[in-house]
Amino acid sequence: MNNIDLNALFIIFCVAIGTYSLRYFGLVFSNRLKNEGNVKVFLDYLPSTLLLSLIAPAILKEGLLGFVATAFIALCMYKTKSILASMVLGVIVVAIGRNFI
Amino acid sequence: MKNDFKNGFVANIPIGFSVAAYGSVCGMMSSQAGVEFYEMMLMNVFIFAGSSQMIIIEMWSDSLNVLGIILAALMINLRYFLIGASLSTLFQNSSKKEKLAYMHLCADENWAVTIAKAKKQDITPLFLFGGGVCLLLIWSASTSAGFVLGEFISDPSKYALDFAFVAIFTALTFNMYHGKNNLIPWVIAALVAIVAEYFIAGKFYIVFGALAGSFSAVYLHKDEDE
Repeated sequence: MNNIDLNALFIIFCVAIGTYSLRYFGLVFSNRLKNEGNVKVFLDYLPSTLLLSLIAPAILKEGLLGFVATAFIALCMYKTKSILASMVLGVIVVAIGRNFI
Repeated sequence: MKNDFKNGFVANIPIGFSVAAYGSVCGMMSSQAGVEFYEMMLMNVFIFAGSSQMIIIEMWSDSLNVLGIILAALMINLRYFLIGASLSTLFQNSSKKEKLAYMHLCADENWAVTIAKAKKQDITPLFLFGGGVCLLLIWSASTSAGFVLGEFISDPSKYALDFAFVAIFTALTFNMYHGKNNLIPWVIAALVAIVAEYFIAGKFYIVFGALAGSFSAVYLHKDEDE
């Protein structure tokens, strides 16, 4: 076992412990808060705003094509309620756009 | 209630396709960066967070900067604190042991699927865990395939496989739409994320966008009925 292997294992170990702690203490900490009123509204909005924050810059970077794909995904979700169909449609739109336009 | 494990497992199969696409890219990058197969598998099982694994692998090629890699990976995973917090209702009636056991396999994808489901019907944390097991299998299989068949997908962006991740999160977001009340906080979250992504290095924009959107929702609700 050389040095690099030990360093690698140390990195994996620290990130694993750190990530698990974030997951667990996020859950435990929120349990101590009173889950009503403002806190409830806040926690209700966390998932959707977190997802939006993840995707908004990525869609913008894709440019017009990203917005077109997003519109198709929204429409497909509205009509079919199928997450898979909407995802596939979005990917196809971007693939077509990148290859043929 | 036992069915929740199975239901969660099955519900994550669709999103599994995008996880598989992402995983094969991640596996391919791993073999090219000189990550050993067993190291990649240790990350899959014990870290179980795709984007941080990607960052670790990216930084791997520039010799091992131990502290830098650990910090970068954990900053990306800061959002798991919020993800954990958002699951408090789901774990309301769970013991400490259940929380300790089920939270590890909580990734972006099965979390999003679980949250969307929980808004529509009563489920237990087993739904989240079933999804986690499903994703762990798909993630391990696809990163392995990518590792072995490294050069097979020479240009994943040509087929927009890199957009699969965005597309599925977009679909999941629209799935959570409950009416006009959502719009302003959502626009604020998106705008803050875009601006923060531009000015701040790393993945902090995700945290900033989510906090801004959620705080604005609290503020707006005050004006209404509460």
